[in-house]
This record gives sequence, structure tokens and C-alpha cells, in this order.
Amino acid sequence: MQLVPEYREDLERVERFNLVARVTHWGHTVTFLLCLFTGLVLFVDGADWLAAIFGGYGGAGLIHRIAAVFLTLFIVFFVVFDFKGIINWIKDLLRFGKNDIIFVMKFPLEFLGFPVKIPPQTRFNGGEKGNSMVTPTMVILLVISGYIMWFPSIFPAGLVRVAYPTHDIAMVFATLMVCMHGYLGSFHPGSGESFWGMWKGTVRKDWAQHHHAIWYEETYANKDKEEEA
Amino acid sequence: MAYMTNLYDSSKCTACRGCMIACKEWNQLPAVMEPFKGNYSTHDDTNGDTFTIIKFMEEEDPVDGIRWNFIKFNCFHCLDPACMKVCPQQAYSKTEWGATIHDPDKCIGCQYCTYACPFHIPKYRKREDKITKCTFCADRVAEGLTPACARTCPANALKFGDRAELLAEAEERVKFLRTNGFPRATIYGKLELGGLNNIYVLTDTPDKFGLPVDPHIPKQIPFWQDWVQPWLGWLIPLALAGSATSFVTTRILANKHAGHEEPGEHVERGHE
Repeated sequence: MQLVPEYREDLERVERFNLVARVTHWGHTVTFLLCLFTGLVLFVDGADWLAAIFGGYGGAGLIHRIAAVFLTLFIVFFVVFDFKGIINWIKDLLRFGKNDIIFVMKFPLEFLGFPVKIPPQTRFNGGEKGNSMVTPTMVILLVISGYIMWFPSIFPAGLVRVAYPTHDIAMVFATLMVCMHGYLGSFHPGSGESFWGMWKGTVRKDWAQHHHAIWYEETYANKDKEEEA
Repeated sequence: MAYMTNLYDSSKCTACRGCMIACKEWNQLPAVMEPFKGNYSTHDDTNGDTFTIIKFMEEEDPVDGIRWNFIKFNCFHCLDPACMKVCPQQAYSKTEWGATIHDPDKCIGCQYCTYACPFHIPKYRKREDKITKCTFCADRVAEGLTPACARTCPANALKFGDRAELLAEAEERVKFLRTNGFPRATIYGKLELGGLNNIYVLTDTPDKFGLPVDPHIPKQIPFWQDWVQPWLGWLIPLALAGSATSFVTTRILANKHAGHEEPGEHVERGHE
């Protein structure tokens, strides 16, 4: 059984994510998952076996903090080296409109594998826009509340008290999105090609035209015309 | 078994600090030196190696002049303790006579309890990476002895006994104090937080002793512990189950609809 669609070098490909975005993405994949599993030892009751993997609760706590620092550094890395990319990303999220709403409404059927017709999408479709809004927001909340809990003595006690539930809530929503995102970005047959967009940086031209028609038009259509001319 | 309580009477306390020493000795706690801060208190607050302290509070009143209030400050052994509620390792437990005790073997040093406690009592002991606090000398009481602090008090300001009996005694004492020069005398620990297992007779309002007048467990704690922690987390397995369902159904439907499709060529349908 094929899990992820084949990477087709023979077909024409277009760039979807630059190197900085990809490094940030995969850096966050590793650090987020490390933080998640070392953090779950406190969230899930009786997770002694999970803590044991990281060398007990002390080890899990240490790994959690190290991974958290690197997670923060990847955010800084992204901001420093591709600030324009972040701005463009946010700009695209702000284009959330009718087509995105239709996408989100029809998506459950698509999710299960029924054929559906979906209106043209911008660089990020309705679902990706939702993920792009929720996950980073939650991660920022996690980072802020995390450092407050790490250094409670330099913050007001009231803030520390709020940080604990905030960290838990943000963790649940971030993980929820990460689960869906991980599946949709890889094993879901319709969206699997986007995996290569994040791994190798390019996607098939025909896939881009079909899945992100507006983005393709705006980004590559002019170049196509120039080439033809 | 009925609740067993310490009754502390601030009108009798001479601030000799014998209880602090007895506590240190029984619990084998090393001395913690702190610099002089301009008053008689040895410590501002309890710490990982100091379970009980005597606070000296100077109080200037326009009518009464200067008043010097003493209070023995330590864990109040709440009847419904917040520390026990938030602890992810169930390190806290209540003894049948009402002491809130903490098991260091279960503790992982997360300090959730420190910030849940309305009195900020559980303290982090860095050298062991664990929380410590007053044990109410549960080990002594189990052997029929009284807690070390109550045992040593020379002024009879500290008395260990049945909670109901001591409450009655405290009420009598406060009535006496109110008619004998302490009109604002009050009991602390009878109603606060639904009852504390340490009863205080105070010669003035609690705020004059550095205690919260109306202590409460921060509202986010029941929300966090009763809703977020047990229920919200189920969204994660739900997402995983949804993905697993989709993984199966997409592949079944793909086989049904499009036998001619090349593997990986799902562009006709796919959309994420």
C-alpha cells in the first residue's frame, strides 16, 4: 500500500516552501513532539512508563526544557531569516473568504474520501488557514506560559496560576491540530503531494494548479506566459 | 476519627520561637540563614527547610498606638486542600484525623501545589528537587504524641486536640478577648476555605497578621482540574481516531471509484 504519493521528478515542479520555512517546520516537528511526549507524563495520569522512556520524571523535565528552548530558537530563526515569509503567510491568512468557508464545509466529505468539487484556493486552503492560525497561536501561548512556569519567581503569582491551565489548553489544541495536520500532510491521499512541498520544497505543477489555483495564477502564471512568449 | 487540630492563640504567644526550633529538630531540618531585614522575624516566609515560622508584625493604630502582633505561620492543613487537587502525582493525602501530608517519594518537583495554595505554603527544596511542607508531625501523632511545636510551647499558646472541642474553646477565648481590650479579636480557620485544620485565635483582623481575610482557591484551579485535565485531552485521541478512519475510508473509496487511477494520482479528488 502506498502511503505518500511518489515524488515525481519527471513532471514539472514549482517551489512551495523555501529552505528557511522548511527548516523551521521540521525543527518544530522534532522539538514539538519531544515537548509533547515529555509533557504528557504530567498531563496523563499514571504515565510512569512514558516518563521511564526519558529517564524518569527528572529526565523528562530536562528534555522538555531543552526541546522548548530549541523550539523557541526555531521561531527566532524564522523571524530573523524569513520575516517577509511570515508577513506573506499572515497576509494569505487574512484572505480567508467565501472559498475558504466552502472548503471547510465540504472538507469532511473529502476527508473521508468522497469526491467533491472545491472552489479555487489561495496559497493556503481554508483548512490550512485554520491550522496556520490555531497552531502558531497555541505554540506562542505554550512558549509564553512555559517560560512563566519555568521561572515562576520572576513573575507575579497570579500570572503563574493562569499559566498552568493555559499551557494545558494550548497543548491540547496544538496537538489536536498537529495530529490532523500530520495526517493530512502525509497519508491522506488527496493532500499527500503537499508533503513533498514541505520536504523537498517543490510540488507538482499540475497539483498546484488544481489545489491552489489562485496561488498558482498569482505566483507562476506570469512566468509561464513569459516563457511562452 | 474526629479531626485533630492545633489551636494557636496569638494573645498568649510570646514569640519565643520554641516551636520553630522543635520543628527543625524533629524534622531534622538544617538551619537557613537569612540576612537581617529590619524586624524580628527570622524569615519572611517558610522555605524548603523551614516548615513553620513566627512572624513579627508591627502595627500602628491611631488609638491603640503601636501593636506588635505575633503569628505562627505554617501549613493550615485545609480540610479541602488545593495542593492535593492539582498534584499530578497524587503525592498529597489527608490522614484520617485531618493532616495534609506530602509523600516526597511521589513528588516530582513540578511546584503546581505552590501556586495553587492560597497561602503559598508548599515550598521547593532545590537540593532534592522536591516540595516540602509542614507534616503536622503525622508520624508523632500516629504514635499518640502531639506535634513537636505544640509539645514544646511554654506559653500554652499552642494546643493540640479535638477540632470541635478546640473550636468551642476558641470561641470562648475570642468572646473574652473582645470584652477585654481586643474588640476586633476573631477566629481564623473555622469558616475560611470551608474550614482549616489549624484554628487561630487572633487579637485583631487577619490582615493585621499577614493573612488573607477571605482566602479562596483561584477559580482557574477547579476549571483546570475538573474540566481541562480530565475531558479536554480526549480531543487528541479523537483526532487520531478520525485520521485512522479517514486513512481506511479514503483507500476503500479510492478502490471503488477509480480502478483506472495510477497509484498516487489522486489529483481528481484530493484537496488539502
